[in-house]
Amino acid sequence: MVIVRVLLSRVLWALVTLIAVSFLIFLAIEILPGDIAARVMGRFATEEMKAEFRRMRGLDRPMLERYGEWVIGVAQGDFGDSLVNEYKVSDVVMPKLKNTLLLALFAFILYVPLAIILGSLSAVYREGIVDTLVSGFTLICLSIPEFVMGTLLLYAFAVNIGLFPVMSVVNMAQSTGDAIRMMTLPAVTLAIAMAVYAIRMLRDNLIEVLDSDYIRMAILKGVPLRRVVLRHALPNALVPALNVTALNLAYLIGGVVVVEKVFAFPGIGTLLVDAVFLRDAPVVEACALIVSAVYVIANLVADVMTVALNPRLRTAK
Amino acid sequence: MTGSALTETAVATTRVSGRVGRIRRLPVPLILGSILLALYIIVAVTGPLWAPYSYDRVGTGKPFAPPSAKNLLGTDQMGRDLFSRVVYGARHELFMALTATAVAVIAGGFLGLLSGFVGGLFDEILMRVFEVLISIPVLVFALLVISAVGPEVSGSQLILIGVVALVWLPRTGRMARSVAVDLVTRDYVMVARARGESAWSIVWRELLPNATGVLLVEFGVRAGYAPILIGSLGFLGLGVRPPIPEWGLMISENRANIVAAPYTVLAPALALSGLVISLNLFTDGLARVLGRQVKRV
Repeated sequence: MVIVRVLLSRVLWALVTLIAVSFLIFLAIEILPGDIAARVMGRFATEEMKAEFRRMRGLDRPMLERYGEWVIGVAQGDFGDSLVNEYKVSDVVMPKLKNTLLLALFAFILYVPLAIILGSLSAVYREGIVDTLVSGFTLICLSIPEFVMGTLLLYAFAVNIGLFPVMSVVNMAQSTGDAIRMMTLPAVTLAIAMAVYAIRMLRDNLIEVLDSDYIRMAILKGVPLRRVVLRHALPNALVPALNVTALNLAYLIGGVVVVEKVFAFPGIGTLLVDAVFLRDAPVVEACALIVSAVYVIANLVADVMTVALNPRLRTAK
Repeated sequence: MTGSALTETAVATTRVSGRVGRIRRLPVPLILGSILLALYIIVAVTGPLWAPYSYDRVGTGKPFAPPSAKNLLGTDQMGRDLFSRVVYGARHELFMALTATAVAVIAGGFLGLLSGFVGGLFDEILMRVFEVLISIPVLVFALLVISAVGPEVSGSQLILIGVVALVWLPRTGRMARSVAVDLVTRDYVMVARARGESAWSIVWRELLPNATGVLLVEFGVRAGYAPILIGSLGFLGLGVRPPIPEWGLMISENRANIVAAPYTVLAPALALSGLVISLNLFTDGLARVLGRQVKRV
């Protein structure tokens, strides 16, 4: 089976990539800046204090040995201890990761109908007012940085209208309704940022499909336009857009870093940025690795879907 | 039907002859983008000559003064003139974005073309390294580099340019390589090979001229995203340091006071978005003229 071999090689390559990424992250954080002890203990630490710190943390051992230990720990869900406080990194990271995944899920639920509706409308009424408006909207949204869009939404809806809270502290939310209200603005920001690519993609695909012979045939034999679009054209145009959606998921996990910071959302992005400030190396490593892992997996899914949805690859020798 | 439409446009275009006609036939996005971009460049270059105050002069008015004749867009928390700061910001933003992108496209373009031409183990290894680097999300990659350099040093504009260039390098490299792989099968490259020309001269004289279109569009795409990256880092407090009037940094500085002085946030937000819009318009138009596709993912 060709397809099994192709898929297997993709999965294997993703695994190799992840290991390489983990090494790069470890390298960047542990090696290049030189002395972690000096960074953690500050300017006034004596040589003996720094040496003691290094011994305690096992930093005096060779780098490869420490990397191996770290990776084996990570594989078992143990990211080491935070340098700033006494917590285990996994205890710090996991609740934040849960929040971020919740936010991403919410954003994704908003993204799908937004992309499909706007994409289909501008394809069906191409070159019309709707199409022009949508393409203007996507061009502008494509150019507004997420943190600017988030800030503007915050100003418009939270500050001026008071519809949503300014800060989104999900843990303090009393009920599910509260939590949803707090996550709405960040989720909308992410959904718009994602939908922009998908709308353009879907529009172009749908136009191509609508120009095909079988659609013309359906129209000529008197199938109503709505049915032609929904039942005949859309399913075929969605296939390439699925790939974009998986890439969008990958983007989502990267874009979430800034957006979380805008809304003070207690997710993994906020944690990552704060850890960079605090120079909490193990937390930075953990966050960067988790975010990259989600990114790699989303890309793998996009890859696999392209292969799985292409009949030619399924039957090739 | 299309035939008659074609003749009609042909007639229409011959009627508006000369230079005006040639400009009219350019895609609208290119014209619009060029005009906007030219405005930004003019402001960036000449701004310091006519900006009412220096960007770091405090107390040009009361803190959070509303827009007036003295302070066109009002003042920020320290009474610095907002209009002057936004104007000064243009040169920092443009300089950093364009330099970083140029470095990345030149270095990545060279590496990618060479890799595609040489092939073999060199190509294999370089592309695997690039792919690994690309599999770290842009902003996370930038944050990693910044925390590797150490937050103390990373505030300098040169370091920031290096960070952005480093983030773009594997992406432009892979793009250039994919072009080169296609070009090396062409006859003229084979002829050059048969003539016994060196790898360097083939890359320089045969591949580069035929890859310029793709590389130009790639430059535009990356340059359009660079201000977003630079602004995001500034917004997170990990980009340039105060009092440099970087727009992302200004937004984060004034964000807490958005209710009292909305202009302090809206002005840099508009300036930053406008710059990205004009770069994207320009790139879209350029791609259309060159018959290339714009890939933004």
